Amino acid sequence: MESILKKILKVPYLVFIVIAATTVFLFLPMKDNTRMETNLDKYMPADHPAFIYSDKAEEWFNIKDGIIIAVENKDGVYNTGTLTIVKQLTKKLQKMPEIERDDVTSLYTADNIIGTEDGMDVRAFFKKVPKTKEKLEELRQKVLTNEMVYERLVSKDETVTVIIAEINDDVFTQEFYNKILAVTKEFENNENKMYVAGRPIVEGTLALLGPEDMKRMVPIVLLVIILVLYLTLRSVKSTVLTMLVVFISTLWAFGLMALVNIPIYSVSTMIPVMLIAIGVADGIHLYSHLQLYIRKHPETTKKEAVVDMLRSMWKPVVITSVTTAVGFISLLTSQVYPIKYFGIFTAFGVLAAMVFSLVLIPAGIMIFGLPKTKPVKDNKKHNNKFAYDFAEKVLKHKTVTLFITIILVAVSIIGITKVWIDSSFLEKFEKDSDIVLTDAFINEHFGGTSTINLILDSQEEDAFKTPEILRIVDKMQDVVEGKLQVVGNSFSLADYLKRMNKVMHADDEAYNTIPDSKNLVAQYLLLYEMSGDPDNLWKVVNYNYAKLNVTFQLKSDNSKAINSALEVIHTFEDDFKKHGITMNYAGSGYKALVFTDLILEGQIMSLIMTLIIVIILLAIMFRNIKLGLIGSVPILITAAISFGLMGWLGIPLNTTTALLSSIAIGIGIDYAVHFIEQYRINSVSNDKLVTAQKTMAHSGRAILFNAIVVIAGFLVLLFSVFPPNRELGFLVSFNMFVSFVGTLTIMLILLNRSNIYFEKQKEGKIK
Amino acid sequence: MKTIKLAGLLILALVVSNLKVFPQEITGLQIIENVYNRPVGEDMTADLTMTLINSSGNERVRKIKQFSRDFGDVEKKIMFFVSPADVKNTSFMNWSYDEEGKDDDQWIYLPALKKTKRISSDSKGDYFMGSDFTYDDLGDRKPSDDTHKLLREEKINGEDCYVVESIPKDPDYMYSKTVTWVIKDKWIGLKKEFYDEDGVLLKILHVKDYKKINGFWIIVDTEMENVQKDHKTVMELRNIKIDTGISDSKFTERMMTRGI
Repeated sequence: MESILKKILKVPYLVFIVIAATTVFLFLPMKDNTRMETNLDKYMPADHPAFIYSDKAEEWFNIKDGIIIAVENKDGVYNTGTLTIVKQLTKKLQKMPEIERDDVTSLYTADNIIGTEDGMDVRAFFKKVPKTKEKLEELRQKVLTNEMVYERLVSKDETVTVIIAEINDDVFTQEFYNKILAVTKEFENNENKMYVAGRPIVEGTLALLGPEDMKRMVPIVLLVIILVLYLTLRSVKSTVLTMLVVFISTLWAFGLMALVNIPIYSVSTMIPVMLIAIGVADGIHLYSHLQLYIRKHPETTKKEAVVDMLRSMWKPVVITSVTTAVGFISLLTSQVYPIKYFGIFTAFGVLAAMVFSLVLIPAGIMIFGLPKTKPVKDNKKHNNKFAYDFAEKVLKHKTVTLFITIILVAVSIIGITKVWIDSSFLEKFEKDSDIVLTDAFINEHFGGTSTINLILDSQEEDAFKTPEILRIVDKMQDVVEGKLQVVGNSFSLADYLKRMNKVMHADDEAYNTIPDSKNLVAQYLLLYEMSGDPDNLWKVVNYNYAKLNVTFQLKSDNSKAINSALEVIHTFEDDFKKHGITMNYAGSGYKALVFTDLILEGQIMSLIMTLIIVIILLAIMFRNIKLGLIGSVPILITAAISFGLMGWLGIPLNTTTALLSSIAIGIGIDYAVHFIEQYRINSVSNDKLVTAQKTMAHSGRAILFNAIVVIAGFLVLLFSVFPPNRELGFLVSFNMFVSFVGTLTIMLILLNRSNIYFEKQKEGKIK
Repeated sequence: MKTIKLAGLLILALVVSNLKVFPQEITGLQIIENVYNRPVGEDMTADLTMTLINSSGNERVRKIKQFSRDFGDVEKKIMFFVSPADVKNTSFMNWSYDEEGKDDDQWIYLPALKKTKRISSDSKGDYFMGSDFTYDDLGDRKPSDDTHKLLREEKINGEDCYVVESIPKDPDYMYSKTVTWVIKDKWIGLKKEFYDEDGVLLKILHVKDYKKINGFWIIVDTEMENVQKDHKTVMELRNIKIDTGISDSKFTERMMTRGI
């Protein structure tokens, strides 16, 4: 390895040309092939049973997410102006090419099933906008007496009415959102305020906002990192070359992605984050070593210096990079494709960064000369003294450090039990953002902006014409609505039947129940088909009445809310089972829940696997199992404290924050390996304290630089307008800090106490 | 005398020229009127099988016994469900009036409820029993409701047809236009295309079979396909009997409750 690197050293220009050419080659496909995947459905593993079922159910019942447009009139919605808005906006939405005509629901399109003295009527609430006071009052009464519409389309206090436009998963774009907003805003006036909400808006905006914010923030992050890197390395050349390593490795990762035609998923935006945090490490360690060498040998030639740098550093650089890459490759076990891709391409980037560090940086030094380091003697002494003192103190106060570590880890473990998983999209937004406020506004007035679909599945045709079964459904709806504040509403075939039973009995409230016989149910349904729009029925039951879709409206999309509803719903499992009916779920809210679980499962699996692989790899590389175990300590501590802190601070685990444990792995390995390798080299002094001190002055210094650079960079993200990116910035910085402190304290102590290299030498001496 | 002679000649000339020109210059309206007024007998008894097919290919089959009779200013129809079992003996009666603007009267008898109820609905745009046919599509629509234009003549399914475009006079009507293929000598609409409010093709009606029964051309098998929803309805009439002299008393609420 060393000889290969030395040979390469002879042709520095060629190195630059080859890397530049490859970069261009990989950059070209990026121009045409790079595309962002914003359709969240594409993120889900299509072959997972829960998704297969949900997708099928969505097709059976035409389940789609709805954009909710609310019209608020403080003086009440029953006036000509507001109703004109409802009618005109409904018509406008129906005409939009992205929306299917039948998928728009409002007071203008809704069916009003009413009882008359001699029969039943299914009518529109209004066709021509009512103009007189009497007509308006008549409409008001119609809504008031219809449970199927009241509090669903018009709020209880009668100041808000909604128009719901259901859209397919793939139609949401920024342009479409802007169009909806523009169309809606057109109707706003002094009396009528307009609001736009709903899952497609939340999901769509989120998919667009995160990367957009990243685009804004990343240049600033890089700028800060470059600046701090310069301040620590004190050399323009070194800074440029280190950053070049990060840039080119990121470029290669995305270039390869474009070459094999894989789109950029939102988790892919984490790749540069990882590569920045991990990629600068190699450069810093190399330069740090080089600086120390030049200080010791001020008269050195650049060739000598570079050869020495490579000789003592290639091994830790390779070990750290390979173990880190293995850690990312272990993400292949995840069931979620974007995570798999994230793992592969980050691993590729890490390995690319390794190659560039070992090839590009030396070549750069050969071409541009050694970095000018000011040999300020005092400063150097001061530096070393600080490192020496620190190492001494750490070892002196072993018990204190150990004690603090144990307490911290224990507290963290308690915190970990408090960690909760959140698949909510809404909670990723600022609490006072328009999207959150609108959502809260609509939730306050209506059943809820989030939905879960319970799909009841019977093998028997016409099962859901059976009164016994329908009564269980009805009871379940009552219980779920009654027990849980968060469930504002529910809707099923039972609601249609109760309504019809009531109106067929002259609006007698006593008949607001499921009809008594199967034949009557069938006959009501036939009646509905004759007078209403049968398409409405196919949204709640399938063609042969063997499958039922029960919709629950929730006032929150967070996982706690969804799970609490699922729990209550599930208490009816036995009742349904008796009738041979199975329960399944569908809809985007449920899918997001399952999806988040999958990601976490994969992440935790990968964390455990990585830990085992790292221990084995380190044990093999350092030829000592104990060292493998010690080397994994920074990872363990970082992961534990990081998750613990999330638990205590109430930061939920979601797709972004879960992936951060990968950073703990990547950085933890880097620090541990560099430190152990230096410790080994320095152990020739045969004095435990001196070894620790020297290692601290060498690796400790580089680790400190590394931590400062990345922490400074990522702290910038705290100023992001997008909360998940803020969390990301905070957690990356925090992980870096914990890894840094953990390596320099507790790992040092463990190394010290294990006596590893010293025992060997003693044995050697005896022999 | 001279003037009378002249007038007579003129009239004769007019009549002759009209007679001569008529076959070539038939108007769209005349074609549709011919279809509307094609004699089908006074009354009819038949077994109707209605098959509803959704986009996934699932089928629902309904068997119905139907009686209808034209009383001149009103056409009365009564239907009894034979199957599926859970709706057996449910009956439906419809009185459709010739008078402009007068809505149909409709009743339904639900045997499980043992009650006859009147049903009414907003418009003729309503779909008939969850099928792809509206009441209008079933032949209720009056020629005077639309403006007709003969587009061309064309041969389809081996029949010479007029192709007529009909645009509703009411701009709010559920179709923006329809195009009908009418068999020249039989005045049977063989195929019809329905365009939705946005002018996009919505449904296609295919007449699959027609028969001469008691000297009348009777449409026997039809299929209506909603191309936007990918939903289909097939209607087949069997055991058709024409002019058996169904009495007025058959079309009463009391008869509805009797079943078949």
